[in-house]
Amino acid sequence: MGMRSVRAALLGGVLAMAGGLTALAQEVGVTPDRVRIGMFAPLSGPSAAYGQDVLNAARMWFDKINREGGIHGRQIEAVVEDDRCNANDLVAAVKKLVEQSNVFALNGGSCSAAVVAASDYVVRNRVPLVMLNASGDGALFPPNDYIYGAFSISQHAAGGSAVEFAARHFNARRIAYVNHDDAYGAWNLNAAKFQAERRGAGLNVQSISPNITDVTAPMVRLRAANPEVLVIMTYARPAALIIRKAMELGYRGPIVVAVNATADLRQMVANGGGPEAFRNVYIQEVLADLPGSARLQWVYDMYRQAYPQLASQEGRPQVYMPYGLPSAMSVTRALEAAGPELTREKFLAALQGLDFDSGVMAGPIRFGPRNRAAQQAAIYIKYDGATMERVPGSFASDWRFE
Amino acid sequence: MDSEVLFLFLQQGIASGIVSGSVYALLALAIVMIFKTSEVPNFAQGEVFMVAAYAALFLIVFYGLPMWVVIPAALLFTVAGMMLFEAGILRRVKKALGEPVNLVIATLGLSFLLRGLVRQTGLGDTPRSFPSLVSTDPVQIGQAMLTRLDLAIVGTAVAVMAAVFLLFNFTRAGRAMRALGMNPKAAALVGIDIRRTHAFVWGLSGLVSAISALLIAPKILMTPEMGHVAILAFAAAIVGGFNSLPGAVLGGFIIGIAENLVGLFVSASAIVVTPFLAIMAVLVLRPQGLLGGRPQMRKV
Amino acid sequence: MPPQQAVAALPARASSNLRLGLLVPAVAAVVALALLPVFTSGYVVYVANVLLVYVVLSLGLNLVIGEAGQFSLSHAAFYGIGIYAAALGNKLLGLPLVGCLLLAGVVAALLGGVIGTIALRMRDIYLALTTFAFGEAMQWLFLNWEPVTGGPNGLRIPPSSLFGVEILNDKQAYPVVLGVALLMLGATVVISRSRLGRAFRAVRESDVAAMAMGIPVRRVKIMAFLLSAFYAGVAGGLFATFSTYIHPESLGFQTTMTVLTMVVVGGLGSTGGALLGAVVFGLISELLRQAPAVQEMTYGLILILFMMFVPRGLAPAVSRWVRGRGHV
Repeated sequence: MGMRSVRAALLGGVLAMAGGLTALAQEVGVTPDRVRIGMFAPLSGPSAAYGQDVLNAARMWFDKINREGGIHGRQIEAVVEDDRCNANDLVAAVKKLVEQSNVFALNGGSCSAAVVAASDYVVRNRVPLVMLNASGDGALFPPNDYIYGAFSISQHAAGGSAVEFAARHFNARRIAYVNHDDAYGAWNLNAAKFQAERRGAGLNVQSISPNITDVTAPMVRLRAANPEVLVIMTYARPAALIIRKAMELGYRGPIVVAVNATADLRQMVANGGGPEAFRNVYIQEVLADLPGSARLQWVYDMYRQAYPQLASQEGRPQVYMPYGLPSAMSVTRALEAAGPELTREKFLAALQGLDFDSGVMAGPIRFGPRNRAAQQAAIYIKYDGATMERVPGSFASDWRFE
Repeated sequence: MDSEVLFLFLQQGIASGIVSGSVYALLALAIVMIFKTSEVPNFAQGEVFMVAAYAALFLIVFYGLPMWVVIPAALLFTVAGMMLFEAGILRRVKKALGEPVNLVIATLGLSFLLRGLVRQTGLGDTPRSFPSLVSTDPVQIGQAMLTRLDLAIVGTAVAVMAAVFLLFNFTRAGRAMRALGMNPKAAALVGIDIRRTHAFVWGLSGLVSAISALLIAPKILMTPEMGHVAILAFAAAIVGGFNSLPGAVLGGFIIGIAENLVGLFVSASAIVVTPFLAIMAVLVLRPQGLLGGRPQMRKV
Repeated sequence: MPPQQAVAALPARASSNLRLGLLVPAVAAVVALALLPVFTSGYVVYVANVLLVYVVLSLGLNLVIGEAGQFSLSHAAFYGIGIYAAALGNKLLGLPLVGCLLLAGVVAALLGGVIGTIALRMRDIYLALTTFAFGEAMQWLFLNWEPVTGGPNGLRIPPSSLFGVEILNDKQAYPVVLGVALLMLGATVVISRSRLGRAFRAVRESDVAAMAMGIPVRRVKIMAFLLSAFYAGVAGGLFATFSTYIHPESLGFQTTMTVLTMVVVGGLGSTGGALLGAVVFGLISELLRQAPAVQEMTYGLILILFMMFVPRGLAPAVSRWVRGRGHV
């Protein structure tokens, strides 16, 4: 073999290696037969009820897609971390998923304030983040290219819509509004004030701690203002206390309870003082129908099939479980739409173009060039503790991010 | 604000404050009686309270037992649990080193343990209501609105306070507990069984916590975080004087009323900070608390 | 040599041997630490950054509780003040990193001095509970002082800059965090061996005896409080260099208790203990994320078992073990 041919062989080898390298330089977390998704939610501690089964619901959707052959020949591989619902741990979980597990995209987050803590990191590292059931307004407005969420409803949309319902349906000019003094409360109040001003209604606000045990003082103050409608934007426990206190104080006007508190209606009636207290109560709903209804039965059947052991336990599935589905559906639909040559860019572009009916939520899941909040629709149902009557029409918040 | 509304607010604030204050007072008693004898601020106080309520709920939900079985069972369970913790764990911690901070951390460990245990039952995911023995029909006192349940809470709480007072002042066991609080060595010398007395105090504290739990659970609803109320009881104990039983009761009512008045006259979001401002105010003006004796020098 | 003297001399000699024996591994550890970002992922470096912040927090809390014997339960408040001071110094004043860190420490220390002056009229449980109340009140302030802290929305922290270079990730921040943490560790050793350190310990053993020795007890106590707050503030400043967001939720009593646990489990009153406790407990907490179902129970059990069986903490246990091995 001559010198020249040796050199040619070497050169050829180098070129072949370089070629191999470019073929290998695929998107992070993607191989021809796998795509790795990093999932995180509170799986322990006080907020586990907001996350465990929501994450399970998302996983059962991925499992279903995998059984049906995956997406473009790729199986979805889920890597799960516990985020404990607090900022430091959530950031640790996200960094572990991104830098150690090398995931393609993130699908997680049930706690709004905590998920906002990861937003700058996610944007800096250009990793797509599709939230689970966090409303996460703080990370969605202003919109950025990487973060998508509010699959249940954004807090801005929830607050604005509740006030719109009070002002339009009841023609109320004096609205009492109870929210929390946390991130959730700040967001929904923001849009509620906007809506009240637009409708020319007065908003009498009491912001309470989520840990409050005695709601007498704020309720007596609201009662003194003689409101026409009482809007409750709190979590389940304070909401039940407020409904009961309203009855004790002799308030008989309409009460509107936002979706933050309505997950477990049977328990809400028991906690709120029984049917007596529910003579004039309207609930905000973001699911396509009521939990356990025929239209959503498939969700609960799917859960029972996927987790037979868990389903047999007391308190399962947890009430927020269905919210995991639209989030996971968005991930799989965007993977599908991004085509076989999967990159983060294509995935993000596909997310932006999503517009579909999940069969789970009241409205369509829809993003857009300037919109990162998936679900905006809320319907209202008159609920007397036993029967439900849908209020016709929909009531939307007019607040927009400027 | 016109004077009519002001007067209404004042009445309502004081009436509601007495109701919640009576429960803070009971919990503060449970804290102070342990601190007086063992010098441990029990950081698991809130969780003991919470577990008592969940023990009762557990028996109702899973075994469908009637209340006349459930209530004594839950009380007994809490008392036994507290005595076991004192005898089985704290005594060893004390023997191992005996620094107060070690005892505090052991009670902190207990609080994590108990919360984790309750979550394992599956009852902890949504807020639960506890069946009330007394109706929640409204009752008007002056211009203030309360419920029958509220009145029952205050009545029972006052009865328990009276019982504790009698126990401490007029029985052998009470004298033993007071002696232990003043000087353990001297107490042992005059023939008081220190171990039994310690176990008794912890058991009694458990009993008082469990009673207050069953009293207020129907009113505040149950979550594994309901032990948060203990912070208010700590505040009550500090305001009253951390080593004084009457002080704990007084502190409880002060905190309850202050919370309500601040909520009515200042703002709802300032309610949670009220107890801490009260603590700081009282301690700066009167460092040993309202009814507390001079803090003793305990460095040996 | 009479037997009594021999016994008295033994620990001293053993500890000087020990010191030499520990020097080599200590240097090796520092070198290994410095090289950490080269051979691990950003996630590991993030965990290291968080642990180093806990180390500084623990050193500070150990100064006031362990060395000076003053029960302060408002560490999280000073930590929070440090974070907000650093973040706002960066955001509003455009201060460089070093300026932010100093600002964080100084603001926290000033407030610590004021609170110390008021609170140190009390002792023991009363001091503990007053400082606890102050901590809770501060958390409420963080949550409600919206124009400054962002209130419930939290506060976004812009990247800090060092000599004109923006710090955008954990690996870039790590050398700063490690350097400052080592500096604080060194300072702790110096303080502990100085006259001030001896005064701290004298006050811890007995106010009366310390006074008799001519120690200005009150000033010494306030100094301990102020120094401890300075450490917490610097720790907050460090946190702000590698974090992008702060929310008042994480600045409550639970954080104080976490640090207290670290200090006690490590060995109250010992600098090495504070160091060890922060690292070991920080790691346990991070590792427990893998076992969500039993996390709380495990954590609680660990605390109880430690207090039952390792009451003096890890540091004395480890040094006893090292010494024991040296004899064999």
